[in-house]
Formats: sequence, C-alpha cells, structure tokens
Amino acid sequence: MNKMMNVGGSLDPVTFEVLKNSFITSVDQMAEQMLRTCYSFVIYNRDFSNGLHDSDGNSVAQGNQDIAVHVGTLHFTCKDVIRAFEGEMLPGDVYAINDPYAGGTHFSDVRLVRPIFDEDHLIGFSQSNGHWSDLGGSVPGSFDVTAREMFREGMRITPVRLFHGGRFCADVANLIAAQTRDPASIIGDIHSQSQATQVAERELLRLVRKYGRDQVTQGMREVQDYVERAARKRIAELPDGTWETVDYIDRDPATGEGMIPIRIKMTIKGDTIHYDFTGSHATIASMYNSAPGATFSAVVAGTKTFFPDLPLNSGFYRMIEVTAPKNSVVSAEWPVAVTGFLMPFEKIMNAIFEMWSKIMPERAIACAFNLEYLLAGGLDARKPEKPIFMFYEWLPGGWGGRNGKDGADVTTACFGTGLMSQPNEGNERVNPTHTVEFQILQDSAGPGKWRGGVGVQKTSLLLESEKSVMSYICDRERAVVWGVEGGLPSMPHGLTIKRAGEEKETWLGSVFSDYPVFSGDQFARPTAGGGGFGDPLERDPQKVLVDVIDDYVSIRRAALDYGVVIKEVDPDLCEYEIDTTATEALRADMRAKRKDWARMDPTEVSRLYKAGEIDALDAVRRYAVILDWESGEVLPKTTEQFRESYEKRTVAHWG
Amino acid sequence: MSKTRVAVDVGGTFTDICIMDEESGAIRIEKTSSTPHDPMQAILNGIEQAKIDLSEVTMFSHGTTVATNALITRRIPRTAMVCTEGFRDVVEIRRSNKEDLWDTYKDVAKPYVPRRDRLTVLERVDADGKVMTPLDEAGARRVAEILKKRDVKSVAVCFMNSYVNGENERRMRDILKEVMPDVPVSISSEVMPEIFEHERFSTTMANSVCAPVVVDYVSRLGDKLAEGGYARDLLLLHSGGGVMTPASVKEFSARLAGSGIAAGAIASRFIGNLCGFPNSIGFDMGGTSTDVSLAYNGEPRITKDWYIEYGYPIRFPSIEVLTIGAGGGSLAWRDEGGSLRNGPQSAGAYPGPACYKNGNKTATNTDANVVLGRLGTSLAGGKITLDPALATEAVQETVATPFNMELHQAAEAIVAVANSNMANAVRLLSISRGYDPRDFALVAFGGAGALHGAAVAKELAIPTVIVPPNPGVTSALGCLLVDVQHDFSDSFMTNASTVAPDEMEAAFAKMETQAVERLTHEGVAREDMTLMRSVEMMYAGQWRSLSVSAPAKITSVSDLVEGFHAEHEREFNFRRDEAPVAIFRIAIKAIGTVPKADMPRYEVRPHKPEPVSRRKVWFEAVAHDAAIYEREKLEAGAAFEGPAIVEQFDSTTVVPPGMSAKVDAYMNILISTKG
Repeated sequence: MNKMMNVGGSLDPVTFEVLKNSFITSVDQMAEQMLRTCYSFVIYNRDFSNGLHDSDGNSVAQGNQDIAVHVGTLHFTCKDVIRAFEGEMLPGDVYAINDPYAGGTHFSDVRLVRPIFDEDHLIGFSQSNGHWSDLGGSVPGSFDVTAREMFREGMRITPVRLFHGGRFCADVANLIAAQTRDPASIIGDIHSQSQATQVAERELLRLVRKYGRDQVTQGMREVQDYVERAARKRIAELPDGTWETVDYIDRDPATGEGMIPIRIKMTIKGDTIHYDFTGSHATIASMYNSAPGATFSAVVAGTKTFFPDLPLNSGFYRMIEVTAPKNSVVSAEWPVAVTGFLMPFEKIMNAIFEMWSKIMPERAIACAFNLEYLLAGGLDARKPEKPIFMFYEWLPGGWGGRNGKDGADVTTACFGTGLMSQPNEGNERVNPTHTVEFQILQDSAGPGKWRGGVGVQKTSLLLESEKSVMSYICDRERAVVWGVEGGLPSMPHGLTIKRAGEEKETWLGSVFSDYPVFSGDQFARPTAGGGGFGDPLERDPQKVLVDVIDDYVSIRRAALDYGVVIKEVDPDLCEYEIDTTATEALRADMRAKRKDWARMDPTEVSRLYKAGEIDALDAVRRYAVILDWESGEVLPKTTEQFRESYEKRTVAHWG
Repeated sequence: MSKTRVAVDVGGTFTDICIMDEESGAIRIEKTSSTPHDPMQAILNGIEQAKIDLSEVTMFSHGTTVATNALITRRIPRTAMVCTEGFRDVVEIRRSNKEDLWDTYKDVAKPYVPRRDRLTVLERVDADGKVMTPLDEAGARRVAEILKKRDVKSVAVCFMNSYVNGENERRMRDILKEVMPDVPVSISSEVMPEIFEHERFSTTMANSVCAPVVVDYVSRLGDKLAEGGYARDLLLLHSGGGVMTPASVKEFSARLAGSGIAAGAIASRFIGNLCGFPNSIGFDMGGTSTDVSLAYNGEPRITKDWYIEYGYPIRFPSIEVLTIGAGGGSLAWRDEGGSLRNGPQSAGAYPGPACYKNGNKTATNTDANVVLGRLGTSLAGGKITLDPALATEAVQETVATPFNMELHQAAEAIVAVANSNMANAVRLLSISRGYDPRDFALVAFGGAGALHGAAVAKELAIPTVIVPPNPGVTSALGCLLVDVQHDFSDSFMTNASTVAPDEMEAAFAKMETQAVERLTHEGVAREDMTLMRSVEMMYAGQWRSLSVSAPAKITSVSDLVEGFHAEHEREFNFRRDEAPVAIFRIAIKAIGTVPKADMPRYEVRPHKPEPVSRRKVWFEAVAHDAAIYEREKLEAGAAFEGPAIVEQFDSTTVVPPGMSAKVDAYMNILISTKG
C-alpha cells in the first residue's frame, strides 16, 4: 500500500482519530458551557463560535454548531493576539479582541483568547467568540447605518489582557463595560466566555497527560493536514475552469440610485480555488462594507456549503486564495465603517452558491432571502421606573429553490444558519411591544419549477414608551432575491409603518436609522422567500395546488406566476381543483408574452404601479423593473442592472 | 401460584417480559419476537408463552414505543390546531434553525400538523395575563364546525400567553367539546404551562398527535389484561422515569414518547444504587447505537431539552439520555483524508456483521471482537454461529491492508476508535456537566455493553464497572422498578432579593394541591405520596436556569440562593456572589411510591471459580491465554483476574489484563479497572 497516504506518517491511526475527535469534543464542550451561562441574548440565540488553535494561532477545530459567519476568522484574531503578546504570555492569561481590521467580523463579536501551557510550554490557544448585546456607539445595539467611520459605531478592542496569570483585571473589564449600554451583562459574558476557554484548556491538558505533549501538538498539526488533504482531493477531481458572477448591494447613500456591484471570478486550477473580486465597487458611505477578514470568511462559508461533511479548520483554508482590490466594498480598511459587513457577506455567499451550482448541479441552489434586523430602543413606560429597553430582533425567511426540491421554508439567514429566532412571548415580556402577527407570508416565495422557500411577516405594535427610536438593517429592497435557471425573483425587502390613528401605511424601506417612533405605531416586517429554481411554467400543477391548499400561494398568484388556474370547491374541506384546459391556455399565452413583459418600458410599468393595476411582485417578477416602492418612480440605473441579472438568470433559460 | 409482578419492554426486535416473584424476589425473563404492526400482540404472546396467570399479577408495568413510533413514522390520525389569529405558523417557523448547518439539501421535517389544519380564532391575552380580546365565540364555533366536517381525530388549542392565563383556551375547548364531544382536545395551558410559544405549542401538538394512537393502544391492552384477570391499573412508563395510569395517559399522551429509552436509565440507576454507587453512568450498547445516561446522588439527570424529531421540542421533563451511533454493527471505514473511522453507519440487524454470513464484507465492531478472540463464535446458546474466517477477511480488507497494519493490530484499532467515540459521549454527559467520571461506576449492559465497558471505563479513569446478571434484558428490569410520578411546574419570575418566602410557599402549596389531586385520581394513598420541590434560578441577565432542590417549607430565600451559587459552581466552575439572582420557575415532582419487592440475595462465598475453557484473546496486539467462564455457573463471591471472558446467553463480558472481577450478592459482576 501507499505509505505516503498513511495518516500523517507518524501518529498511529488510532491516536490520530482519538485526538481529532477529542479536539472537536473539547470545542463542543465550550459551546455547551457558553450557551448555558451567557448573558447576551444574542449569544443565547446561538450567535457564537469556539475554536481550538495550535501555538501559531491556526485553527485546529471549530464547534459543530458554530454559526457560519465566524468560520474562517478565528485564526486571524488568535494570530493578532500572538502578535501583541508574544513572549509575555502566562498560564491563566485571557485576552480580548474584537478588531475587524485585524481579521475580526464586527465590534459586537468579542473574542476571548486563552493561551494554553503545558508546564512552561505554550501548546495552543482556546478562543470563545460571542456577540455581545451592546458595544456602545451612537445607537442601541451598536448598529448605526449612517456611520461612515468606526468612531460612531462602537468600541474597538485591540488585543487586551482581561486575566493576568489567573487574576481578573477588573480595571480593564470595567473600562470596557463602561463604554456600553449593558455593563452588567458585559461583565457576565466575560466570565462566561473566559470559563468556556478554560474548558478547552482542561481537555487539552488531559490529552497531554495521556498522550504526551509531542503527540498532542503533532495531532494539532496533523488534523489540519488531514482536512487539507481531503479538501484538495475533492477539488482536484473537479474540472479546471473559471466562473464569474455579480451580485449587488442596494445603494450607496452618498450617491444617486444605482446598485453597488460585488464581482467575483472563481478559478479552479488543480487542487486550488482562487476568488478574485476585481471590478467590485469602492467602499460606500454606510456601514455596509466588509474588511478583508470578513470577506475571507464569506468565501470560506460559501465554499464550505458545497463540502458540508468536511470538518472545519485551517487546513480547509489553505487551498483557498482571495484577491480583492484595496479599499473596495469587500476590502475596507480602518477607519471605514464595517459593522454592516453581513450585507456584502451574504452577497458573496449567494454569488458563490450560484457559481458552485454550475459545478455541482446536485447541490444547486438559488438566492436566499437577505438577513434583516430591527433595533428599537427607548424607555419602557409600562413600568413606573421607566427602564431603558432594547428590542433587537431578526427574522427567518426563505432559501432558494433547489434542483429537484423546493427551497427551505422559514430558515435563519445564510450568514448564520445556527441562529435561532426569538419567542414573541419573550419579546412581549421584556419590551413594550405587542405582536399582532407572526406568520408565513403568502406568495413570498420566488416562483420556479422548484419554488423558493417561504418567508414570514411579523407585525408589531409599540405600547407605552417614551423617547423611542428604531433602526432597520436589511438590503435587497432593490437587488431583489433572484431566481436561477429560469426561476423568478421573490419580492423586495422593506418595512412599512402605520402611525397611531392613521390608516395609511408608509414604506420605510430596508435601511434606516434613529427613526422616532411613538406609542400606538404599528410596523410590519415581511421577509422575502427564496428565489425560484427553473421555469415556473414547468412546475407540476399538482404542486401548485398543494401550495394553494396550504395557503403558501394564493389562487390569484397561482395564475399570475405559474399560469395554473385553480378553482375553489369547498375550502372547509380543503377542496380545490385545477382547471386543466384553462391552465394550458394561460401557460401558452404567458409563454408567448413573457419576454416582452420583461422588456416593457419601465415608465409604463411605473404608471401601472401608481394606478394600482400591478403590485411590487408583478413589477419584479413579471416586468423586471425596480421602482421606488413608496412613490412608484422608476429607478433607471437600478432597473438596468436588475434587468441584466434577470435576462441572464431567468429569461435566458426559458425554453 | 404466588403473586407476581410483570414488566414488559418492547424493543424493535424483541419484546422482553420480566416476571418477578413477589415473595422470593426471583426474576425470570421471557423473550419473544416483537410485532411492530401491533406491539400488543407480542405482549399477549409473551404472557401466554410464559404461562403468566394474570389474576395473580399485582403490578403490570410497561415501557412502550407506541408514542415514539407514531411520531417517527408519522402514522398519525388527522390532527388539527386552533391558534390565536396571526399565530397559526408558530410550529412551522419554530426557532428557524437547522440540525445540519452546512448541508443545504437537508431540511428540518415539517410539523406534525400541516398548515391547512392549523386554524385561527380571534382572541388575545397579554404578557401579564390580561384578556385583551375575549374569545370570538362565533368564530370559535365556526372553526369547530369546520374541524368536525374534516373529521379530525384530535385537536390542540394553542393561544399566545396562555401560560399566564388559560381562560380563552379553556373556553375554546368547551366549544370544541360541544361540537365534537368524542375528540380529544389538548390545551397548551394545561399540557405545558410555560413561557415561549414554540416550545409550548410544539409539546401540545405532539401530545394531541399521540393521543388517539396511545389511548387506543392503552385501552385495548388494558381490556385484554382485564379479560385475563388482571385487576389493577396498567402502569405505563413515561420519559421522566416514572409510571402513570391510563387516566393520565389520556391527558399527557406525549409523556410516553421516549418511554423505551428511560427504562434502561432507570435500571442502570437502580443497579448502581443496589451495588452502593449512587453515582453511576449507564452504558447501554446495542447493535446500532449506545445510550448513555447519568445518575448523581442516586437521582437521574433530567432534561427538558429533547425531541423525537429535530425542531419539535417536547418539554416534559425526561431522563437525559445521549445516544450515539456506535454499536456492535457499526462499520469501520477509511475516509478520503486517510483517517480510520468507526460508525455511525451500521450493518444493522441484517445483513449484520461480516461474521453473520449474510454477505456484508465491511468490518464491524463485532467482527473486530471475533478476530481478537473476545467474542466467541457461538452466541445465544448456540442459536447463532459466527464465522471467524469472514470476520478476519473483513478486518483485513477494511483496515489492515489500507493502513498497512497487522491483522490483530487492525482489529484492536477498530475497537479502540469505537471506545474512544463512546468515551467522548460519556465526557459530554459527565465532565462537561461538571461531574468527574472518577466518582462514578459504569453500569454496562445491552447486547454489547459488557464487551466494551471495561475499556471505556479505563479510558475515562472510572474505577468500577458493573455488569448486571442479564445485560441484554436490563431495560425490562427498569420497568419493574418504578414509582408513579408526575411533574408540575409554574412560571415564577421574580428577583430573589425581593421575593417573600410566604409568596413562594403559597405558589408551591397551590401546585401541591394539584399534585395530590392527580395522584389521588390514580389511586395513590396519601401516605405513599412524596412531593419534591425545586426552584429554577439564574444570575439576573442569564438565559438558562439551573434547578436547585427546595425544602418542604420555604422559610428563607437566601438558603435557596446559596444552593444556586453552589450548583452553578459545581456545574460551570464559577460563581458570582456579588451578582443578583433571579427566580424563573418552581417545580414539583410528585411521586406515588409503589412498594418494591427485594431483589434476591445470595450468600457470598469468596472463591476462585474454575474456567470452563481457555482461549487465545488479544489485548494491545498481544495474544493472551484467557480464562473463559460461563455466567450461569458463576456464584456469588467468585473472584478472578483478567484476562478473562464471561459468556452468557445474551451477552459477553470482557475483563482485560490488569483488571479483576468479582460476583456480588446480587449476581452482578463488578470489575475493578485498577486491578
């Protein structure tokens, strides 16, 4: 047999397998500890990750349930800690860092790093990374969409000591906590995370006692080689080639309308993958920029989606190379604001999904909905002492249609699949809000032979409160969730508000900050469904019928989007029927006209929209036109960009 | 004929019946093939086969997989939900997360009740329990009429904030009962009165879905037993480790989900206690998986975070059992990165391991154990013969050749990887919960538990392994050892520093009244009732609570707070004396003690038994001349040294070199891993 392929050449297979699994168990134990002792509700809902590193800071193992967005970033922050403290580290030290310009994600993700010593020898690090509830800055929750530089955003923590030889540095911890709106929780989370890093230390030292220091440190190297070997083998088996695509952020607030392109060219050569972002837009005047570390993470997360079973560590990263133009929206540098990096992040992920879908059609997937989160804060006037409240919430939506399968319904955003949505009963207890509805949004899914997953709508009423403001962080109001292989886009993201005592709803769109709100205001947040996969006129009418019975699709849109004519028989008994003749006629008619619809003069579409003859779903799905959804005016440059995408992803695939 | 107690454990392959003579404590076991289409048939067959006179039976207890199977296979009658308007999709939206984070083609299963059958009515209660909108009675009636037209067999009523005020839910139930009196209705404020709508709705939905299936099964079985002369209540084992009567099964059907797994954990705890180890770890290794459980200070670990299908929590307190895909049939393989792996894929019952001669060529743990001589070639009293040549070939091809290893080294490697995976599972349940395995005994049972138990214990530095007399039917024994048990909980959200002891005492007293009523309803006499209180607390600002036991009379809250600090330190290795503590929930475990028969004791006569034979057995790639014993011939007091193998009908016990073993008064084998 080929001795070269024997594991690592020196550790015997059993020791190797035992160490590999024990490393993973140790980070899973960190996760368990963190989940059960955390203070930040964002951490509690699983926005965290844990890592074990070798003495150079490379990742040896990451938690099985860690959210995607932290993948590919932990080694950067560990290395930055080493850079800062090399030669001065002691057993019992713990350092904090949250620096996005040193490979972190955004300020909210604070990492605690503990060096692990066997006697006097540094053998590795453990790292616990969690999203704190607040890091200061101009708005509650530390997401100011109008920030152009980091100084408004929150507190940047470059590597700093929180424990010195086991002694808690209360002065430093208190200084950090004092910069936030939630100091008591911050101190609590420092303890929670620092103990989590100790769990991995204990486990690593147990392995050292059993197998000896040399075998363990060798194991830490070899598990990286092992993942690298498996990943490279799979890449080498794929044909060489180049794939290109573009996705967009809605706008740059400092300039006129027109979407912000993120261009990616992917090249597979031998057993390596190169992602080139040349042609991507320069940084923009909001916080929707990404620093190089976060961009690398998006690339790793997107790629990893096509290798779901491979373990994650630095070995996986070695076959990936990223090139990005300096000071572009995907390669921002200090002090450009990057707290909204998840917007470019998800564009990168979806663009990578699209390119890999061509290479691995059996895992193909259309675009997923865009993450969204709402931050409201003020004084809770339900209680006599009027305490500060912070309402910070994200919703699930639909993922893209798949090859032979509809998209996943109501699922967390792709940046962080492990993240949980929050219970309304919890919201209502702690915040002066009342949930009016939280349900699946009919017709939210992008139509296709395989439709996208469905999104939801949550409508909330603000109860007795004072000095309240609201921020909304989302995108794809214009760069609408796209379909592939002939599938249709889903729907624009955006929030509407109905003021107390008024009947009219006002469209506020997908991004705003510090918007004053008052008792009795009601705000509705829909999330998009996923993009459609394949031509919707080829969808089996029986599947459309089932979707109608379950109210995922309305009878009206079954005809408009799928050309399937359905009649109600007895809704009490869930009885509906397909009019086969009418369906065939309607589908033939749509086939004949739909290319013209997709190229109709946008001003005519705008007129129809303003006259109430068509709605936003018709505009994006049928006419491929992007309007200002409040005024109905055409956004010409945006429409041009959107139509380019629609022609390429949708029209080109219609038979 | 003397009085007997009968316990039945229904498994996938076999139905085990455990019959205990009430006077002598003697236990006999009857095994019969399970009848999955109607599990009751196997029970009746077994009763006949064992010649049990049901009129002499004083207790008939039963661990059933009926509820679990209904949920897994989704063979469930049409069930509907009635929800608050705007909230019909709570169970479909769930918490929106996935089990497999990276595989975009693996989805969470759809809810048990499809969207079309989730109807809504206008009503609303706010977070403080105030009725903001009374139930729209006309709308409620309209919904009831539709459900009647649809001929649904069960209904769950799930309203927002009903955990603080269930008035609207109860009214909805009344209306449903008027329109369709024979259809069972579960309401969330009674099934699981806890905050967080998905968890409460999901539990209620599971309860509704199980109800028709379980109630039908229980009443049919109850009738058959009564026909045979059994005069008492049939007792059903629930996931919390106690039993309940058919009267409660009707209301809390989903408590029977997970019933089967609980039985093993109960037996393990009992055996641990019996042998003087109140801290024990249950290690139940079968053909395809291993169940690990833990008892501390004589009590099992309880969890409320569990489910039958991912995404649909069932919040009834249940014995915590960690199941991993490692069993006798787990396959060894070499992955593309060149690593030696073991499981979770399994050769299953068929074709089974290579040595079963059914055509499987890939090495399993069983094959490796045959190659190492640890497993003999004749099992189940000669009913199954194993082919060592096929085992050797499989180990050679699957591992020895690809990894360039000698045959026995390869077999040892397969077993070592399996043992390490199982040891990691034990670590997750022990070390990561703040328990040191060195303070525990490992109770090894299931078909393969005794084969691997000693090695796993050694890996974890556990000093003692206990192998019960009939490792293969230990779960049935668990069903015999139970009390009636119900769990009650109530929200009690407040700060520990401001709450008055009287207030808490009053809240407990209210729940205790309910508990006594429920037990009385089940025929438990007052003197047999035990009520155990606990309080769930956390540091103010934390999101998960810890349960701390509370005294029968609350006089001081600061004692509870101190108990919480101590438990937090034990479990998580730190405490924050300066931080404020919050109270989250209060709970009661209500137990109706069922008098236990004593297990038979034998006189311990220290002696060295004679092996029935000797054979070559490999440990760490070295061949040893090991003594072979027959379990049936080992008497109390027998003591011997490893390497030794003990063979019996349903199991094989391995005592590795350097360890010693002895048989105790209850015929358990106790292995000392330190020699």
